[in-house]
Amino acid sequence: MGVTRGRHPWWRGLGAVAAGLLAGVALGPEPAGAATFRIAVGIDPDTMDPVQTTTTTVGNIVDYAVETLTAIDGSGKILPHLALRWTISADGRLYTFRLKAGVRFHDGSPFDAKAVKWNFDRLIDPAVRVPGRAAYPIEKTDVLDPLTVRVTLAHPYAPLLGALSWTTAGLLSPASAGANGNDYKNYVNIVGTGPYALTERRKGESITFAKNAAYWGPPPTYDSVVFRVVPEPTTRESLLLAGQVDLIILPPIADVPALERNPAVKVLLAPSDRTIFVAMNTRKPILSDRRVRQALNYAVDKAAIVKNVLFGAADPMDAPMASSLFGYCPTGTYPYDPARAKALLAQAGVKPGTRLPLLHPSGRYVQDREAAQAIAGYLHEVGLEAPLQTMDWPSYVATITTPVERNTTQLHFLGWAPPFLDASQQMLQFLSTYAPPAGLATSFYANPEVDRLILAAERELHPERRKTLYCEASKRVWEDAPWVFLWVQRFPIVYSARVTNVSSLPNEKFAAIYARPAR
Amino acid sequence: MTRFRWYLAQRLGAAALTLLGVSFIVFLMVRVLPGDPARVIAGVLASEEEVGRIRSQLELDRPLLVQYGIFLGRLAHGSLGVSARTSEPVVREVLGRLPKTIELALASSALATVAGIAAGVIAAAFPYSAFDYLLSLLTLSGVSMPVYWLGLVLIIVFAIDLNWLPAAGAEEAVSIVLPAPTLGAFSLALVARMTRSSVLEVLGQDYVRTARAKGLAERAVLWRHALGNALVPIITAAGLQFGTLLGGAVLTESVFGWPGLGLLLVDSIFARDYPVVQGIVLTFSSLFILTNLLVDLLYAYVDPRIHYG
Repeated sequence: MGVTRGRHPWWRGLGAVAAGLLAGVALGPEPAGAATFRIAVGIDPDTMDPVQTTTTTVGNIVDYAVETLTAIDGSGKILPHLALRWTISADGRLYTFRLKAGVRFHDGSPFDAKAVKWNFDRLIDPAVRVPGRAAYPIEKTDVLDPLTVRVTLAHPYAPLLGALSWTTAGLLSPASAGANGNDYKNYVNIVGTGPYALTERRKGESITFAKNAAYWGPPPTYDSVVFRVVPEPTTRESLLLAGQVDLIILPPIADVPALERNPAVKVLLAPSDRTIFVAMNTRKPILSDRRVRQALNYAVDKAAIVKNVLFGAADPMDAPMASSLFGYCPTGTYPYDPARAKALLAQAGVKPGTRLPLLHPSGRYVQDREAAQAIAGYLHEVGLEAPLQTMDWPSYVATITTPVERNTTQLHFLGWAPPFLDASQQMLQFLSTYAPPAGLATSFYANPEVDRLILAAERELHPERRKTLYCEASKRVWEDAPWVFLWVQRFPIVYSARVTNVSSLPNEKFAAIYARPAR
Repeated sequence: MTRFRWYLAQRLGAAALTLLGVSFIVFLMVRVLPGDPARVIAGVLASEEEVGRIRSQLELDRPLLVQYGIFLGRLAHGSLGVSARTSEPVVREVLGRLPKTIELALASSALATVAGIAAGVIAAAFPYSAFDYLLSLLTLSGVSMPVYWLGLVLIIVFAIDLNWLPAAGAEEAVSIVLPAPTLGAFSLALVARMTRSSVLEVLGQDYVRTARAKGLAERAVLWRHALGNALVPIITAAGLQFGTLLGGAVLTESVFGWPGLGLLLVDSIFARDYPVVQGIVLTFSSLFILTNLLVDLLYAYVDPRIHYG
């Protein structure tokens, strides 16, 4: 849908009559900058329970009410939040947190070490559904005094502080467990310590928060925040253009250039941590040859696809992970070089016309189907045939995670976004023990040296040494090319020019808690 | 038991059997789809151990027939189980959304029936006139216009450009003004075409000539005698359309962010949330069967020659 409009559309007169007849009344939209900040998102949360969340948008919503011990800033740096400070034992297994004093949950109960222990015990309780549990190798949690808590890990795990900033580790009021439709296993009315408190949930429609007057931190400007569930991107865009919401995420990507020209709105193409790639099944005869995998990397013009298919909403990858992750170092480039691709394919004995089907989901990632078509076109240029196979997400996941002996995939288009900004979450994709069915390293890549480096980095507590280990692993992965390294997707956020102080976090979240009307 | 009650009991018995059949087909169909609900619910980052735990919580590790038995057992107790995705009772999930779907279907159906019959009768009264041709053009557009496109055009005109109506949601009473005609356009066109041909056919009958000959006003001839006798096929069409509108609101609900069952059904299919998909399909089937029964009973009311029993 275009956003430029004629000055006097022909339908004004007709529209006036028709709408008048239909509605009986003419209504104006609620003005922006009122006491409510309105946000349109594409999905209805499957859960509001922090431990059960799996998607960043749901996390983004839950974050209004529920806080964590640590937090990340716009650059991905880990900061203290409900924890004032912490110490880590020399063996990397004991984390002792000093908590902020005087903090209360929305129900008035105190936030203290007992509350943290209750939440962390719940996080590791097998009776509770916790999809992200693997990121919390917590053995036990002890209350040392009312404001000090000690977490003992099963093994040294350096990414813990990052993991504790993730919504999954959000801290709920233990007193609210049996109240208001909540039970220990499933929270529906979250009660946290955040700047806003959940007031109403209308399934499929909206989620409303009211300002927490007793918030320990700086008070937000808006008295309330409403998230509206609007699955259709074009409709979200319409709501924003009609002034009926103040912020939307993920507009139709083809409209981004027009939105950028529209003075009524501001577009934020936020850097994210979502890498988009074509995973190659490295156990298949042709793709087991590194030269072939490198050839495919040279064959695809990533910059051209980003410009023409993604309308600039991505940055070509220069490492096996996004630059916002701890552990990133620029590793290299595979410039568009079809001649070199052809030469490498010839060296590997791949005959022109060889078929390598490309499997892809539809609507899961920005322009996924269109990008897959473009990639197939580039592969055709170097003599490979990549017929496209589209699947809905559940079928797609089932197909690519089939164990190697039954796995028939050759190439598949996939995205991977670590929930917290640490290389450990990305490098899982290159760990041989994380291949299906154990995990989702769907290229079945196995390099013992890379495995060693990744596992060593996970236990290494010294930040610089950890970084070096990940950098070493990244260089080897880049050279081995188990993926066609494509781009790091940007996360489009569009908001009314009548509001300000909207920013983003590099994990596909917007930061609008402190949004305020523009002066 | 009167003959009518006996007829009703028979129909309700048949409906129960139909629903049992539907439940079995849906139960099998959702499970034939590729994809592991536990993996979809757990997300791509979950460990296999966690996925296995969820699979077991959802009883997906039990034999298929046992799962069906459990499902029927719950159904007998008025329960549709628990949503795999949200861990909440399916009955609560479905009942929470059903009123919105019925509201939209009723509004669209009322619009389609009233406007469709009116337009059809007028077109039949003046066959091959300018109005008749215009109606033909409009009804042809109505049946062939994609819901998605019509919805977006209405949003652009009435929400963005004129800024009169909400572009999406169901929070205000006027929120239904755009989704109702979007959903009802197809039915409206169908009812109008059906009414035109049905009334036109009746207008050629002897009793209409008699009515005119005895000096009845043309309006009475048209609306009471002709339309009254042309109603049976129109009621059939409108009734069937109501059922279709209930289940066919998926696109409209998606375009307008209307929080009805259609949207929940799509979300549940993509999440492979078996219990919710089963619950919604059973609900739609029950409503469809009920509508058909009401339509059949309505025949006897509009046409005294029809008796049940």
